[in-house]
Amino acid sequence: MPANDFKIPDDGGAAVSGPDSPVTEMSRTDLQARAGLYALLARCLESEMDADLLHHFRGTLKPTIDELGLDLGEDVMNARAEDVLENLAEEFTALFVAPGGVLPYRSVFETGRLFQSQADQAEAAYKAAGFAFRNVYSGEFSDHVAVMLAFVGRLFEKQLAFDEADNASAASACAIQRETFLREQLGPWVVGWSRRAQGCALHPFYRTILELTEQVVWEDISACSDQATLKRLALSNRRRLMRLAADPDFRKASGL
Amino acid sequence: MGIQEKLSTSRRGFLKLGAAVTAVGTAITSTRLVAMEQELGGADYSPVTGEKRKAVPYTCMACNIEDGGIAMVENGRIVKLEGNMKHPNTRGKLCAKGNSGFLHVYDPDRIMTPLKRVGKRGEGKWKRISYDEATSLLAEKLREVIERARAEENHEILNEIVMKWGRNRTGGAVKRFMHALGSNSMVNHTNICESSKKVGLEPSWGPDIESCDWANTKYILNFGSNILEAAYFMNPNAQRLVDGVVGNRAKIVTFDPRLSNSAGYSHEWHAPYPGTDAAIVLAMANVIMNEGLYDAEFVRDWTNVTAEQLIAHLKPFTPEFAEKESGVSADDIRRIAREFATTKPATTFSYRGPVKHLWGAYQEAAIHMLNVITGNVEKKGGYCLPRGMGWPQPEPVPPAGPALSAIAKPPLYPLASHAVSTNAPYMVMRGEAKVSVWMSYYDNPLYSYPSSHVWRAFLGDESLVPFFVSFSCYMSETTEMADLIIPDVTYLERHDPESMPSGLYPCLSIRQPVIQPLGGTQEFRKTLIDVAHKIDPDGSLGIRKYFAFDSVEDWMKQHFDNIPGLKEEGGYERLKKDGVWPVYGKVDKETAKLVDDNGNEIKAEYGLYTTEIPDEEMLGTEISEEGTIIRDGQPIGVRINGKNYVGFGTPSRKIELFKEEWRTFGFNPLPTYKRLPSRDKKPEELVLTTYKVNVHTQSRTASLKYLAEMYHKNPAWMNPQRAAKLGINDGDLVRITSPLGYIVTRAHLTEGIHPEVVAISTACGHSAYGRLATLKQRDPAARWAQGNDPDIANNVWWDDRGVHPNPIIRLSVDPIGGSQGWYDTVVKVTPAQAGDKYGDTDVSIEQAMKDYDEMLRYAYTGDLHRAAHQEVDTDWNNLPEPKLTGH
Repeated sequence: MPANDFKIPDDGGAAVSGPDSPVTEMSRTDLQARAGLYALLARCLESEMDADLLHHFRGTLKPTIDELGLDLGEDVMNARAEDVLENLAEEFTALFVAPGGVLPYRSVFETGRLFQSQADQAEAAYKAAGFAFRNVYSGEFSDHVAVMLAFVGRLFEKQLAFDEADNASAASACAIQRETFLREQLGPWVVGWSRRAQGCALHPFYRTILELTEQVVWEDISACSDQATLKRLALSNRRRLMRLAADPDFRKASGL
Repeated sequence: MGIQEKLSTSRRGFLKLGAAVTAVGTAITSTRLVAMEQELGGADYSPVTGEKRKAVPYTCMACNIEDGGIAMVENGRIVKLEGNMKHPNTRGKLCAKGNSGFLHVYDPDRIMTPLKRVGKRGEGKWKRISYDEATSLLAEKLREVIERARAEENHEILNEIVMKWGRNRTGGAVKRFMHALGSNSMVNHTNICESSKKVGLEPSWGPDIESCDWANTKYILNFGSNILEAAYFMNPNAQRLVDGVVGNRAKIVTFDPRLSNSAGYSHEWHAPYPGTDAAIVLAMANVIMNEGLYDAEFVRDWTNVTAEQLIAHLKPFTPEFAEKESGVSADDIRRIAREFATTKPATTFSYRGPVKHLWGAYQEAAIHMLNVITGNVEKKGGYCLPRGMGWPQPEPVPPAGPALSAIAKPPLYPLASHAVSTNAPYMVMRGEAKVSVWMSYYDNPLYSYPSSHVWRAFLGDESLVPFFVSFSCYMSETTEMADLIIPDVTYLERHDPESMPSGLYPCLSIRQPVIQPLGGTQEFRKTLIDVAHKIDPDGSLGIRKYFAFDSVEDWMKQHFDNIPGLKEEGGYERLKKDGVWPVYGKVDKETAKLVDDNGNEIKAEYGLYTTEIPDEEMLGTEISEEGTIIRDGQPIGVRINGKNYVGFGTPSRKIELFKEEWRTFGFNPLPTYKRLPSRDKKPEELVLTTYKVNVHTQSRTASLKYLAEMYHKNPAWMNPQRAAKLGINDGDLVRITSPLGYIVTRAHLTEGIHPEVVAISTACGHSAYGRLATLKQRDPAARWAQGNDPDIANNVWWDDRGVHPNPIIRLSVDPIGGSQGWYDTVVKVTPAQAGDKYGDTDVSIEQAMKDYDEMLRYAYTGDLHRAAHQEVDTDWNNLPEPKLTGH
């Protein structure tokens, strides 16, 4: 399905009908596909493109990318690999790492500061599911969007594994964990952050990956949330930065 | 009728009783249930859970005053900073900057991982790398230089490794690193700070600053210092100044062209023409000496001049002369001189105002002399020596590099003991020094130096600076130009030894991580260890042995574990616990004085110079004709009236009002006044001055929300009468033009400025340093901040980040003290021209290079120096040859 079909409705999500049940039901094929999709998004947003990933995009993944009409950039598919990797590394750093970028942390999105309680919440969820966050570079925190997406992917995987082992209760628990995490920890910010980052991305590869992230996450949240929740989350993601109306005559030029 | 029946008859009955109780006031209440509050600091509780927060002592480094602080940590995060009640000079208080410091830690614009340049220098294109990769890259670059020096058997090549710093509070780490590499090219920042104050004081009495006993004084003469807002020891001095003025009814008189908050707090404010302080001070000295108001005994015993010499020297400097130069009336000068000399105890204080001029060192030496001739030195309530403590360096200590460095200490400024950092780019651009690797630590010359555009041109030129590494954790204007950024951590995540003489109680203090370095970042000290080990992995270069530390903590222990007194109390671990040593006592709740357990005030010591040398230490000493006690060729004291005193830190161990070394280079050996070129400006011109404000450092705090909200724009202060003549109204867009070019800013009209002066504060007008400093970021939809914290997102109500004046400020170096003459630039202020936009800046590199040449004419070998010092009795045809001394 083209990514553009997934859109947050302008009315704040009120028109979206979510399932009544807190747990969505998915086929094993769906579970596997979702696990793969989240793993891909996580990998793309977690660190710079490398030769292996580029090879996959140009090989195994290419037919699907073409079929979906995803624009990853002409250079990604055809230019000299070394140049592509260098360019994308610079873009990745500018977007997600260097000062002035759109830092991919829930703490920053919600509080304007690094490493606030949102990081603890993420860490607690990972721990409850038997995972732990480990940074590779300095300055990486547990509430990084890619780590959160990876976590959802891993929960899909676990659910699938339990399902295949005919352990319905464990699979159901995984689904509840996943849906709860989606609603409570990804839901309030990832869609809005993705949109914001898309607006800043200069390379189509990241614009597309971010758009995909926005749509995939919103679809999964929509599938497991009631309308009131969706409306709340949509508003939360559509935060607009406001300024108080300035009266030019209110203050003297000195600001004193 | 029972009580229940009486009261329950109506609701009104209850209310009547309640009202009656209320009328009694607070006399009827429980004494058991009280608000959860801290006992004068040091303890804090979560308002949500009620849990006691972890309190970790540290030493502040928001600015350079190094106040004692306590960080309150909850769930591993710093939630609050407050003063350390055990610090004897800070006394439990932090300033606005100090309180806001924890915002640095969580700033989303902080650099959290090393960045390697991938675009053109300064283009802003980066690739992230690991600390391991970054330190390996730097080690490789440094090793290349070291190996080239060895291959060519040329030690001077080692000096192509340059370390430039702005704020170095590492307790010797930078020097250890540079000397271990064999380089002496260390370039500090002191000449844009107060170096001419230091050079005015050091040859006079030893130390580079005074410690006024504000709390016990009766009279304060303040020359160009904004004590309550920004001057050295701002927080401790401000507290004790208020103690003195309010508690001890001291009078304070301030001389400053601008009505600062300190001037406003004073009993009298006089606005002299900029740079004429020495004329006023010498006139006061003239009055004091000629009217016999001086301390004859102190002058006779403790100075190297006679009263007669001084009277003769001061003869031209009459109050009438001073009035002509400064605009302050001769009557006021006489009156204040008499008041100062006859009110005991009294003290002066001065800071950047008088000294940030050509010949600034003369001004400081003159102010110092006022205290000497009135006998206020080291008296209770007087003008005291600074009290500090030292710490040993871990052994082995690397020797200085084998070749002396010109860039570290330009040879044309032999008396400038704190160097001349402003000259560094010009020297390299002129081929007077060479650079292979330029390292920048806590430094931002592209913003904070005069003619700052010169630094941009210099650091942007790869032929002049082949490799540039910055250790900053902020993307400053300077760091933007780097090839490699190895981020340091904030001051709340690092280790340093400290001892700042910010009061009369000497103490050691410690900076320690109050949280672990955020997100796996690493402190500069660890980076130095890593780089040293990578340059010299097997120790064959002789570098590794100087960094044989198991950890950063191991390094710190080697500083502190063997200090007598502290060692017995636990050494480093003891310091970690309280953050400061010794702990003198506690702060009295009523008086804020330091008291012992019985409530008795802990007295400071005075008269340090009169400490007698024990007889056993006199063994093997010689005594010169002048009474100097000498051991092993070094002066250790002075004999006066048969007693052996330690005296002052000068060659004669007396206060040397006459500075023989100054005469050697053709400078006046006695405090004097020189009319500045800016004093002879054209009538239509103004003198441009700058100033710091109470909530910002010069360059590092514009990214902090609390502070940026309070102060973020810096209009040009102008006197209304002068502005009217120029056709300028309050708030008008104006163009300020110096020979370097112009800036476009807004005018703020106020009576609180000298009519011949236009003043612009520092701290604003950043083009880098984060989203709040620049009011821009990559994301246009979220111009102000990415986060949605209501205070950040909804309350960044300003869209004016100010305009920085430094690009139009000319290079002007005091040939004695080496200080930048921040207040010597003459400008024209005109209404903005058609097409001018707020913030426009247009400046010339060519003119800056001409300024450098012009400035050198004032150096001791220059023609303008000789012309300005005709009165000096020296061998003008045989002045000493310039020589290298930098190490």
